[in-house]
Amino acid sequence: MSGGGARLVVVPTVTVLAVIKARLIGATKGHQLLKKKSDALTMQFRQILKRIVETKEMMGETMKQAAFALTEAKYAAGDNIKHTVFENVSSATIKVRSKQDNVAGVKLPKFQHYTEAGETKNALTGLARGGQQIQLCKSAYVKAVELLVELASLQTSFLTLDEAIKTTNRRVNALENVVKPKLENTISYIKGELDELEREEFFRLKKVQANKKKVADRELKEKLDAAGRVADKLAARAEEVVSMLTANGKDEDVIF
Amino acid sequence: MGYSPDPGSWRNALTYISPYAFSAVGIGIAIGISVLGASWGIFITGSSLVGAAIKVPRITSKNLISVIFCEAVAIYGVIVAIILQTKLESVRMVDDRWTPDALRAGYSIFASGLIVGFANLVCGLCVGIIGSSCALSDAQNSTLFVKILVIEIFGSALGLFGVIVGIIMSSQAIFV
Amino acid sequence: MSMYGFEAMSFNIKDGFLEAIVRGYKAGLLSAIDYNNLCQCETLDDIKLQLSGTDYGNFLANEPSPLHTATIVEKCTQSLVSEFSYMRTQASEPLATFLDYVTYGHMIDNIVLIVSGTLHERDVQELLDKCHPLGMFDSIATLAVASNMRELYRLVLVDTPLAPYFAECVTSEDLDDMNIEIMRNTLYKAYLEDFYNFCKKLGGATATIMCDLLAYEADRRAINITINSIGTELTRDDRRKLFSHFGLLYPYGHEELAVCEDFDQVRAAMEKYPPYQSIFSKLQFGESQILDKAFYEAEVKACVLGYEQQFHYAVFFAYVRLKEQEIRNIMWISECVAQNQKARIHDGIVFIF
Repeated sequence: MSGGGARLVVVPTVTVLAVIKARLIGATKGHQLLKKKSDALTMQFRQILKRIVETKEMMGETMKQAAFALTEAKYAAGDNIKHTVFENVSSATIKVRSKQDNVAGVKLPKFQHYTEAGETKNALTGLARGGQQIQLCKSAYVKAVELLVELASLQTSFLTLDEAIKTTNRRVNALENVVKPKLENTISYIKGELDELEREEFFRLKKVQANKKKVADRELKEKLDAAGRVADKLAARAEEVVSMLTANGKDEDVIF
Repeated sequence: MGYSPDPGSWRNALTYISPYAFSAVGIGIAIGISVLGASWGIFITGSSLVGAAIKVPRITSKNLISVIFCEAVAIYGVIVAIILQTKLESVRMVDDRWTPDALRAGYSIFASGLIVGFANLVCGLCVGIIGSSCALSDAQNSTLFVKILVIEIFGSALGLFGVIVGIIMSSQAIFV
Repeated sequence: MSMYGFEAMSFNIKDGFLEAIVRGYKAGLLSAIDYNNLCQCETLDDIKLQLSGTDYGNFLANEPSPLHTATIVEKCTQSLVSEFSYMRTQASEPLATFLDYVTYGHMIDNIVLIVSGTLHERDVQELLDKCHPLGMFDSIATLAVASNMRELYRLVLVDTPLAPYFAECVTSEDLDDMNIEIMRNTLYKAYLEDFYNFCKKLGGATATIMCDLLAYEADRRAINITINSIGTELTRDDRRKLFSHFGLLYPYGHEELAVCEDFDQVRAAMEKYPPYQSIFSKLQFGESQILDKAFYEAEVKACVLGYEQQFHYAVFFAYVRLKEQEIRNIMWISECVAQNQKARIHDGIVFIF
């Protein structure tokens, strides 16, 4: 029974058994908790996956529109307009900051875009040709950038969650398939060993008892023999007495 | 212009100029101005033709007709000049004066040369400008060539009118 | 030359050859069949194949296969530049000056590009690569040294033909982004007025046709500036200062445009001007999307009409404009093909016949 699986190398004693049992209870509890965490993460994971798919679909459409808006701007304002726009800009107006979100103990990075508090510098670009198209193109790309940031946030969360789920599942599986059986095996080993010990003890005790009995019997016998002999002697004496009595007849001074 | 006995007076300038001189100037104008017209026309046509032929080489040989039309104007001038030249004869002064017939002959040759010269100048310009348009139009659309050529022929007829009038005019010129 | 009708006699002395050349170039513009074929293309390589039979063929022939729209546009622009510079080297006065005038618009754009790039500390060489080749001039690289208008004028621009146009700009001291766009338009306004006067001085058919074309250009700018400045910080007075002092809309139309607050007011103001009324009537109320195309169409029509007459310079101006429109068309078609937006392919093409 105790030789089936891997087990801890322990001295099979009752104290150790108690310790191991406590560990098994801990492991079971941990397993349950981790399982719950894993489920929670998986749920979150699925949600994120769904949102990623949605965002990606939207992304395709938005990018397409943005690219075409650029074409329209180039058509209206001339091909060189992109250089004009580039040279007018010294720093990005839309920036990304990252923040952390906590899902079941897993820290998810979250990106947020925000507009730098500065004036929109290209307001007059293309004043005489295609200014409106440039503004349209700008807003189309702002929308695209916002989506991109969201998508990046989701993707990073996705990867982090994926990693977290994997770790958790590994832990769950380790607990379920390695730690718990090992502990159980150890327990059963210890129990087996203890039983064995007990049986040995019992047998020994029995033997001792049997020995003791033998000795006692013998002593008893001897005692009985001795007693018999005494009894015999007594009987003989009694007979003597009886015979004496009978011989004497009624003896007035005997009181029994 | 009344007659004055003083041959040195400016009032008599025209009557004292030799009819021979008038004739010679007339002939000179006839050929000179005609050639000027022809060359001007050829220049106008030619520069357009050269430019247009870079993209569309097929127009070159066809549009030589325009150049030839301009050239014809010079030939009119040459012909009339030769005709006028045959009328020239030496004349003598009678009583220190040119005879009225001689004067008339001189003037008519002069006028004839003037008519032919300027008619051909304008004709050459006209044909040249139309020829230039013809070359450009032909380069864009070859069906236009014949249509514009008709206009060009009408233009070149103008020079002939001058030639006809010039020849008729000079036919009266007989030096006596 | 300047007497109307008689330039036919002397025009060809200097310019007959080039006029024939430019008409030849114009005949090389894409035809309706070319456009139809281009619209059928599925990839940019197809477009290259289609263009190989046209004047652009030589320029695109050696381009390796994954083509980009930008490359196609660049090569087509190169074709325009090479044709234009051929004519410029052949030209004698006053056609040479006229052709220079045609390039001043690009020159202004280049100056503005370099000045704004310098303000943001970009590399000058990089900026020069981005300049339009038609607007290059010798001292353009030295523009980068200037940090304010006065210096810009004193160090560089005083030697360029654009110097007189800066007279109105030098008052503004610092070069920030707002001022730069206003500077560009102030320069352009002065340029158009100068060009207009130059053409007027040339007289004859050149004056008649060019003044019409430039008046149209000035009016279009005025309308566009009005529409594009609605809702920006540009004040009414500043807006009016950017309008050129000639054209059909000058002066009463300008007064009306200066006070317009939205697109429909612009449209209402244009009701009184038949050429623009017909352009605006093509649009549905409230939208300005295809306004640019409508303006381009009107411009192309006017330019093509210029070719009906001979012995004038407007054909050179018209040729540059038509070719630019054609490059825009090719850009539009290529973008539509590359972005798989073939449904919109006809929204941008302006046919040139």
